Amino acid sequence: MIRAVIVMNTQGKPRLVRFYEFQPPERQKELIRSIYGVLSSRADNVSNFFKTDVIFGEDTRLVYKHLATMYFVFVFDSSENELAMLDLIQVFVETLERCFKNVCELDLVFNFTKLHTILDEIVFAGQVVETSSSEIVKAVEEIARKSLSHSLQL
Amino acid sequence: MASSMRGLSVFISDIRNCQNKELERLRVDKELGHIRTRFKHEKGLTPYEKKKYVWKMLYIYMLGYDVDFGHMEAVSLISAPKYPEKQVGYIVTSCLLNENHDFLRMVVNTVRNDIVGRNETFQCLALTMVGNIGGREFAESLAPDVQKLLISSSCRPLVRKKAALCLLRLFRKNPDVVNVDGWSDRMAQLLDERDLGVLTSSMSLLVALVSNNGDAYWNCVSKCVKILERLARNIDIPQEYTYYGIPSPWLQVKTMRALQYFPTIEDPNTRRSLFEVLQRILMGTDVVKNVNKNNASHAVLFEALALVMHLDAEKEMMSQCVALLGKFISVREPNIRYLGLENMTRMLMVTDVQDIIKRHQAQIITSLKDPDISIRRRSLDLLYGMCDITNAKDIVEELLQYLSTAEFAMREELALKAAILAEKFAPDLSWYVDVILQLIDKAGDFVSDDIWYRVVQFVTNNEDLQPYAAAKARVYLDKPALHETMVKVGAYLLGEYGHLLVRRPGCSPKELFAVINEKLPTVSPPTVAILLSSYAKMLLHTQPAEPELQEQIWAIFKKYESYVDCEIQQRAVEYFALSQKGAALMDVLAEMPKFPERQSALLRKAEDIEADTAEQSAIKLRSQQQTSNALVVTDQIPVNGSPPVGQLKLVKIPSQNMETSSFEQRRTETYGAVNKVDPESSPSVDLLGDLLEPLAIEGPPSVLTATEKGQGLEANPNSPGALVLASFSDQPNTVQPTINIAERFSALCLKDSGVLYEDPNIQIGIKAEWKTFHGRLVLFLGNKNVSPLISVQALILPPRHLKMELSLVPDTIPPRAQVQCPLDVVNIQASRDVPVLDFGYKFGTSMVNVKLRLPTTLNKFLQPMTVTAEEFFPYWKSIPGPPLKLQEVVRGVKPLSLPEMANLFGSLHLGISQGLDLNPNNLVASTTFYSDNSRALLCLVRVETDPSDRTQLRLTVASGDPILTLELKELLKEHMISIPSITPTAPQGPMPTPLQLDPPGALSIADDPGALLAALL
Repeated sequence: MIRAVIVMNTQGKPRLVRFYEFQPPERQKELIRSIYGVLSSRADNVSNFFKTDVIFGEDTRLVYKHLATMYFVFVFDSSENELAMLDLIQVFVETLERCFKNVCELDLVFNFTKLHTILDEIVFAGQVVETSSSEIVKAVEEIARKSLSHSLQL
Repeated sequence: MASSMRGLSVFISDIRNCQNKELERLRVDKELGHIRTRFKHEKGLTPYEKKKYVWKMLYIYMLGYDVDFGHMEAVSLISAPKYPEKQVGYIVTSCLLNENHDFLRMVVNTVRNDIVGRNETFQCLALTMVGNIGGREFAESLAPDVQKLLISSSCRPLVRKKAALCLLRLFRKNPDVVNVDGWSDRMAQLLDERDLGVLTSSMSLLVALVSNNGDAYWNCVSKCVKILERLARNIDIPQEYTYYGIPSPWLQVKTMRALQYFPTIEDPNTRRSLFEVLQRILMGTDVVKNVNKNNASHAVLFEALALVMHLDAEKEMMSQCVALLGKFISVREPNIRYLGLENMTRMLMVTDVQDIIKRHQAQIITSLKDPDISIRRRSLDLLYGMCDITNAKDIVEELLQYLSTAEFAMREELALKAAILAEKFAPDLSWYVDVILQLIDKAGDFVSDDIWYRVVQFVTNNEDLQPYAAAKARVYLDKPALHETMVKVGAYLLGEYGHLLVRRPGCSPKELFAVINEKLPTVSPPTVAILLSSYAKMLLHTQPAEPELQEQIWAIFKKYESYVDCEIQQRAVEYFALSQKGAALMDVLAEMPKFPERQSALLRKAEDIEADTAEQSAIKLRSQQQTSNALVVTDQIPVNGSPPVGQLKLVKIPSQNMETSSFEQRRTETYGAVNKVDPESSPSVDLLGDLLEPLAIEGPPSVLTATEKGQGLEANPNSPGALVLASFSDQPNTVQPTINIAERFSALCLKDSGVLYEDPNIQIGIKAEWKTFHGRLVLFLGNKNVSPLISVQALILPPRHLKMELSLVPDTIPPRAQVQCPLDVVNIQASRDVPVLDFGYKFGTSMVNVKLRLPTTLNKFLQPMTVTAEEFFPYWKSIPGPPLKLQEVVRGVKPLSLPEMANLFGSLHLGISQGLDLNPNNLVASTTFYSDNSRALLCLVRVETDPSDRTQLRLTVASGDPILTLELKELLKEHMISIPSITPTAPQGPMPTPLQLDPPGALSIADDPGALLAALL
């Protein structure tokens, strides 16, 4: 199962944090800091994997993607396939790209509510729920339409 | 959405503009204060504002601040009628609250209405929150509804895929609540689904269900294989589910994962189809330029490899897999290299492929130098897993080489693994010594004491190795900036075996001393202690003494005589005294004898570590591998074929004198030795303790004294079963104790070391240390004969109030040898009962069996203390009378003067408080009793004697525990009355004296000078 999805910038500032098993805020902070510590020390041409037994507990690992100023991080256990997780990050990023057009960090900062909506269409309770980015965009747009129509009514 | 919430955007901007963490905190606090105020006056709050504030709360929470209010508002938004508010409520609730939060209860109904309602978007929101939180209450009230949604034909895939995963989560978290009986058919139906989104979710659900109960879902196997075929052949896969040209890699991966939960696939047709698909995947995957496509195709490929391994395919397919992996570990793409190594490690579990994997050893070693630490770690794991006798030398040497350049984060693991492999698979001992010394040199910080103790053990037990190890140590000691562990092991080896190098250049005693002594000013106290021992050994080995060296060493001993660390001080004083004894030094400081064989602490640790890790491959592998026999710590016959020198020689010497003195020597040696191997204690410390307090084992006795009746010492070669019952007087060949056992026992009750038992064949000594409610006894079993004692058995029969653990007692005690058996005791409760050692051995044809009381008496758990009058009297008065305070007039007491009685109390661990009782004929004592069951208890004792009649006295004992009071009083009585040589005690401990409280008037007040004070007290 996927334990957490974290998007942060290369300064370690979280932009989207989702834990699929409840963690108290102090622990969340600590985890994010430890993960950032590891990521920031990694060069560019290395693998995207890291075991996180010491950070997250036994049998956990992490896949990340470093794009521009952002790190996209998925933490999961041995029931998931590493490369499939990496593909999923790609789906997530491609979906963001479709939703924001030339997505940059600022989009993510100011649209963190939308990030949650998008993520909920990809990962559900720690499991992959949808892998087709066009299906995800469809669902997100449907939600946006609903929100908008309600907003207009206000 | 967000764009329509200006307030949120402004807030985020503000946060972004904060120059530092402090300003950010101020801004956040301000915002939280604002939100709190607005929530307090909720009436004026529009739904829009509420939504905005709740989003802000989530943002603040994400930044790492605790948001401990507003949960109610977030939860209440779930019940809002409109989508935007409802959405915020659901999302924020599932981020902020854990499954046990009380507020969740309030919305169970709303959530249920959303799930069973007709609004699909509401259904999705509700399912998402329930799935993310997964709480028990949700499971109880919602699981059936979620199940209905999943199989409903009227629901859109959008809802059904979420229902599948929601059910999965509820089931995972509360398997007892979610009823999935009879779901195998439904599951099979779900796998017929055409929509790949729903199918992916259903496959995840299947994994969860199968992992819980594999037998129930056999009917799904063929469906899974069909799905795989459909995907692999790209039949009927919609474009949107093709990822970089590959039909849904996730579904392929999940399906193959699900198949790994079935033990095997029996149906030959299904199996054949599956292997066809797998073969296609294995052969048809190439490394391409596009990274994403590469990742996706290899995700499928690695899963296929895992499935092939699981299915235990034919060897041909396996070697095909290893070949593929071998290709992967050398590709440019780091992710593939990483997974190649990881999967190769997993592959080690499969029998028969190790040899194929070994062919890739060179490449794997190259990966140890990969720029990526993740890859280096995988490579280390793999090398560790694949190491055996044939390649240990290469692999360990690579690890050592890498150690010098490895980053700090990996050194510890690296050092430990190298040490383990070196020990397990050493082709020869000198290589092992080389490896460990290099290890200490390169990564001393990570070499635990266990590792260098082990080296010492091997060197001690292998004479051929001793000059080699000493020479090596000599070379290392010349290096600048040595690690302290190297100083320790170097000094130890040179002290013990330096004399073997005497003819080599730079190795005269003086030079050796100089090179070791150079380190003395910079090392820590534990090392100083080892250096001192080493000097003492050097003195021993330079007989006749070299005056100059002797002067230097004595000067050092002198210097440390007043050192603050008492261990060092003691050594200095005692070595100095010993070294002036000339020949006596020879005996005491003789070379260490061989160690008994024992399991390496390191390997034991390694097994623990391996058992802890989820990756079980290493263990399985280890159990298959043959370990090297080179490192067996035992009295092995040296290679040159001559028998070991130590023991046999002793036996051959006919002279009684010689024999005794060699026996003395052997005895002291044994002391040092056996304690030394205790992995938890520093060898040198024990060495000293034992050097200085040897227990006497006398030669064969000339006179046999009579034993007490009832000591249970019988021997009957013909009927071992009847041993205990047989009366020894009927047995002509009875082995009788040569000492008075009861006397010895009584003596041992008052002191901590001495002889417990002795007969013509064996002597059992005992030495004990006590600390609060813990005790550590060491039994010394010394064979006095020139032939071995066999079938040695020692069994402890502990009374209820003690927890005892006796270490393993060897079956055989070699001639003239002594073995030590530590025995740990924990006191649970006050009691006078003592444990019994049921000890037996066979000598020649006679079986000897004795039952010996062990002096683990109540008083051993006392710690004397002296109290002042201010402390004594209030406590004494606060205890009114029975059962906490007991008084008894004791008659028939051994006539003891008051100082003698004070002495006796001192030996019983009672502290006399002088002058507390104004009457000079009385004694007041106090002590603290320790047990595992309660806190430390203060006990007070008062003895009033009658100067005109020393055979009677009045004894009062008080404590906070009635049992303790009684037991302590009885114990004191025993010691005051009993004179062991006259009234031997029964073997199972004295009969408990019935509690008799003499009436206060038993002693006339007029006769009792203490009575006046007693009345006062």
